[in-house]
Amino acid sequence: MTQTLPTTMPPGTREHLTSPVTRAALRIQNSITRAAREHLRVNGFQELTPPIIGPVTDPGVRGAKQLDVDFYGHRYKLMTSVILYKQASLLTFDRIFYIAPNVRLEPLETATTGRHLSEFTQIDVEVKDASREEILDLLEGLLRHIVDATLRESAVDLEFLGRDPAAFEPMLRKAFDRMTHTQAVARLRGLRHGQSTDAEIDWQGEKLISEQTDVPFFITDYPKGSRGFTDGESRTEPGVLRNFDLIAPAGFGELCSGGERTHEYRRLIERMRETGENPAKYAWYLDLARDGLPASAGFGLGLERVTRFIAGLDYVWQANAYPKLPGIASP
Amino acid sequence: MSARSERSEPRRANQAKAVTLTAHGLPEHSIRDRARRGTAAVFPDVSDYGSTLFGADLSTRDELDDARVVPPVFVPRRLEKMFDLGREPLYGDVSLRTTVGGFDSPLPVFLCAFGSTQVAGDGLGVPASAQAGRLGIPMVIGENVVPMHGYGRTEGVDSGLINRIRAYAETVPDGLGGVVVQQSTEDADAEVWNLVYSDPFATGLLESGRLAFELKVGQGAKPGLGGMTVLARRTAAEVADVYAVDEAFGDGAGTVLRSSSPGTFTAEILRHQIRLMRNNYPRARVWVKLHPGRDVAHAAETAWAAGADSVTVDGAEGGTGWAPSVFLDHVGLPLVECLRRIGKHDASLLVSGRVWEGSRALKCLALGADAVGLGRAALLAVDEDPAEGLVNLVRCLELELRLLSSALGVYDPAELTADDLWFPHRKENENDQL
Repeated sequence: MTQTLPTTMPPGTREHLTSPVTRAALRIQNSITRAAREHLRVNGFQELTPPIIGPVTDPGVRGAKQLDVDFYGHRYKLMTSVILYKQASLLTFDRIFYIAPNVRLEPLETATTGRHLSEFTQIDVEVKDASREEILDLLEGLLRHIVDATLRESAVDLEFLGRDPAAFEPMLRKAFDRMTHTQAVARLRGLRHGQSTDAEIDWQGEKLISEQTDVPFFITDYPKGSRGFTDGESRTEPGVLRNFDLIAPAGFGELCSGGERTHEYRRLIERMRETGENPAKYAWYLDLARDGLPASAGFGLGLERVTRFIAGLDYVWQANAYPKLPGIASP
Repeated sequence: MSARSERSEPRRANQAKAVTLTAHGLPEHSIRDRARRGTAAVFPDVSDYGSTLFGADLSTRDELDDARVVPPVFVPRRLEKMFDLGREPLYGDVSLRTTVGGFDSPLPVFLCAFGSTQVAGDGLGVPASAQAGRLGIPMVIGENVVPMHGYGRTEGVDSGLINRIRAYAETVPDGLGGVVVQQSTEDADAEVWNLVYSDPFATGLLESGRLAFELKVGQGAKPGLGGMTVLARRTAAEVADVYAVDEAFGDGAGTVLRSSSPGTFTAEILRHQIRLMRNNYPRARVWVKLHPGRDVAHAAETAWAAGADSVTVDGAEGGTGWAPSVFLDHVGLPLVECLRRIGKHDASLLVSGRVWEGSRALKCLALGADAVGLGRAALLAVDEDPAEGLVNLVRCLELELRLLSSALGVYDPAELTADDLWFPHRKENENDQL
């Protein structure tokens, strides 16, 4: 793929920073953020600067530990995602986005998936009163615009990395497939993968299903019990969440999660208990919800993962100047 | 009341007692104690805290104690065993090796959680863990250990979670046992499960399939309440933002009562908490601990249906921690009634509550349990001998289980049934229904 054969783990800091692969990947990433900002601005979005710490953060992260910060004697958290702040920010603007850093102490087994970093960036979008379908359309348009713009702006870097622009031709032309979680489970079982019907698509399953296609696709309608309390439950189909994942083709796997949000006070309390949370610690958020939080839908698009997909990199750490892999102490 | 003071005004402290009031038929001592000490009298004596294991009174007998093990004259299963062996079977031929909540165990026994009780925090936890490891039996580490005693990696606290796991891991034989980490509502704030699951320390346990997480729905000593412990006033200030702290022992007392919330559960909440555990921790087993509630059978079925690997029922006789006397004496179903309500079941059912020797263990197994937990008895044994106490206690229980089971003509305890027991206070037809 490149002159510098990547290993499964990042090299030393100097070698990584001076590598032409890193340089090309980061320039491509720059095109991606520029294109994302441009597309969202044209569509009426307000960009906000992201909060870094808070009394609570997104709890809906499978098996990952949050990082504590001593804030004048109060236990604060580094953001695992800005989801709670995205919902709150809709009190100010109807369409908002952040390009936000996140920190998650992921389980150690994710260090070798090629797709997990403990510190990473998301393009975090939220739209007041939007349905999931509207958000899927928005995300599809955004990703297509990002790819289109990056192919034009970063042609030299993509060529250097050996990424064939023809790989993107189907997704620029065809609509993204949409399948439910139930359909995805059936497809995986058809591929002899023992995917659970109640849980998220596991990492191996996600890679497997992603390898079967050349166009990104959405998996919708995850079962309740597979996600945190912010993912909204269907009013007509109890137990089914109005959420989705966006899966990149050719084995690149999940790029983005999102959906309609739980926003009503009583539903939030119930869902917090269903996800084992103690409502007391979400006081500031529940106070807002008690007086009314807007209905909304949105998503968080992983910047390093999109970079990896577009640049055709083997590992997500190649798309980060100072990669921190789960369990590995590094600058 | 049989006598009454004739004074029209309350007696002042410095006034001499004119008449001694007595009240036949009422627990006068207890009433006077409450009148004197206020809400401190609702609890066992605080001065015993830290040196006494609380829980139901072990000196009284319950229905399970009164039940007799009744070996039959005719023993067809002994004949079957003799076919296997080609000789007369003996008690040494009873096979006690079994699966406890998904873990291989040489015995149908596990070490219960001790909670954050001061007794466990003061140094018995680690030797108990080391001995449970030597025995190869699964070990549960209680709720609140992290919020109260620390995680052990940076705090340098001997009783931390890591030190207990390490003591266990260093002694446990390959392929046996497992560590079960509890989490309650307050622990969720400390993310105990996420902490363990993402820690390099847990890798060995995860890779050998010997880590479980236990969702604590309730406990035997105080069904319907959360965890309670007595804290020194100065310690209480440090945890006041996580726990409710109550001046139950009086404003001037050096100690305060620390309470956790019981957590709010419905069938829907329990189901989804279990599913989320399976989703978030695919490599850990899922245990659920229930208090002896009147709907314990429904709750156990809900947990199993949602995918719990095991359900532990703590009878009202259970518990090592601090509880109001009224709960110790009056609240919750006895273990035998929990077992009756749940019945024999294919899924894994573990029980605890006053178990310390072989007959109570065997009776629980006969009524449908897959294994029994040692709680207070284990702490006492380790207190008696930190190096060998628990091992010795369990060896006694093991020998008694072999003797009793073989006497019944049963060489696999899973084949024990209620027919092997007789309850003297039940009518014969009720015994049949067990």
